[in-house]
Amino acid sequence: MNEHGIESEFERARRAADERALVDSAQGGSTAAFETLYRNHVGKVYGLCLRMTANRATAEDCTQEAFIQAWRSLPSFQNRSAFGTWLHRIAVNAVLAQGRKRRERLGADASADEDAERLPHPDSGDDGGVLDLERAIAMLPAGARQVLVLVGLCGHSHEEAAAMLGLAVGTCKSQLHRARQMLAERLAVPEGQP
Amino acid sequence: MNQGPADRPDRLQEALSQLPRGIEPGRDLWPGIAARLEPRSEPARVRAVPRWAWAAAAATVLVVASSIVTATLMRREAAMTARTAPTAQSAPEVVQAVAGSATAAFGPGHRVGPAYLANRRVLARELEVRLARLPPEGREQLAKNIAELRRASAEINAALELHPGDPLLEELLFNIYQDEISVLANVDRLTAADTKTAPTRIPL
Repeated sequence: MNEHGIESEFERARRAADERALVDSAQGGSTAAFETLYRNHVGKVYGLCLRMTANRATAEDCTQEAFIQAWRSLPSFQNRSAFGTWLHRIAVNAVLAQGRKRRERLGADASADEDAERLPHPDSGDDGGVLDLERAIAMLPAGARQVLVLVGLCGHSHEEAAAMLGLAVGTCKSQLHRARQMLAERLAVPEGQP
Repeated sequence: MNQGPADRPDRLQEALSQLPRGIEPGRDLWPGIAARLEPRSEPARVRAVPRWAWAAAAATVLVVASSIVTATLMRREAAMTARTAPTAQSAPEVVQAVAGSATAAFGPGHRVGPAYLANRRVLARELEVRLARLPPEGREQLAKNIAELRRASAEINAALELHPGDPLLEELLFNIYQDEISVLANVDRLTAADTKTAPTRIPL
């Protein structure tokens, strides 16, 4: 980072080269290299899983599953996308697979026992506003929350999010609208106001 | 360019964009992950493919369509062959296409099973002999069919790289490999005068 906290092109390129070397080593079977990749990316993966599931224990399971799946799939990873982007997709699939298993196991009451842990992680921010927002996101219905996380937080397009979640694009848009309305009500933010 | 109200970033979106992307887990998850990492030297095993009902239906359509087209083509070509003298010309391009796809993977981290590869090798060896009985047009059509299957499997393998573990893609890939075996088996069956057995589904 430079004095303004902005990553220079050189730093970005060096970081990409370092990551490429770690990926190469991990593809060759180095668990030490894979552990470094884990340390570099676990925050983003766990953050995604926690926000999508709103449950710490489930998010930990999904994070572990995502990295295990990434290890299995690494031999065929061809660096067409950044490792982090690829890992992000794996994590989303892990969350969705976990949700399917949970629904099969518990039926319609799948979310009934989640409320006890529906709190953001204490380390997710010390600012009161941020914590309120995290809490409000966690309290959203699962469908609306997942769309909000993928589109509103991760920056996916509606088309991408709909494809990932197996939804129609229109459903994705309406879920986001619903999520934003609910958040605005809970946080007393006038929705859509600049 | 003027921004309409819908384009203006609102306070909620601003608040969302200020959330940190990463959240560190409350405990170290690495030991649990490390304990479940299979050594890379061991060949990855093919996982059981989930049997989604609609995917299975799509697979059935694929296999049936492929078999009908191939069977029709081969019968017509067999009839043409009966009218013309057998040619000693082989079809290296077709055999090469089959042999070249022997390294096919079953998506990221998975390989096709040994039974599938063994059957494919046998069929590829037989193919060279059988193809000599087909006219050039038949060989060309067969090469196109096999190339199409290989193109589809390459595309799905690429998609699996972007969506690792996607059960639908795995299912489609599974069926394409089975289709390839069906095509090869049909050539074998229809060009062999003394063989009447139908192609069977081979475990990948």
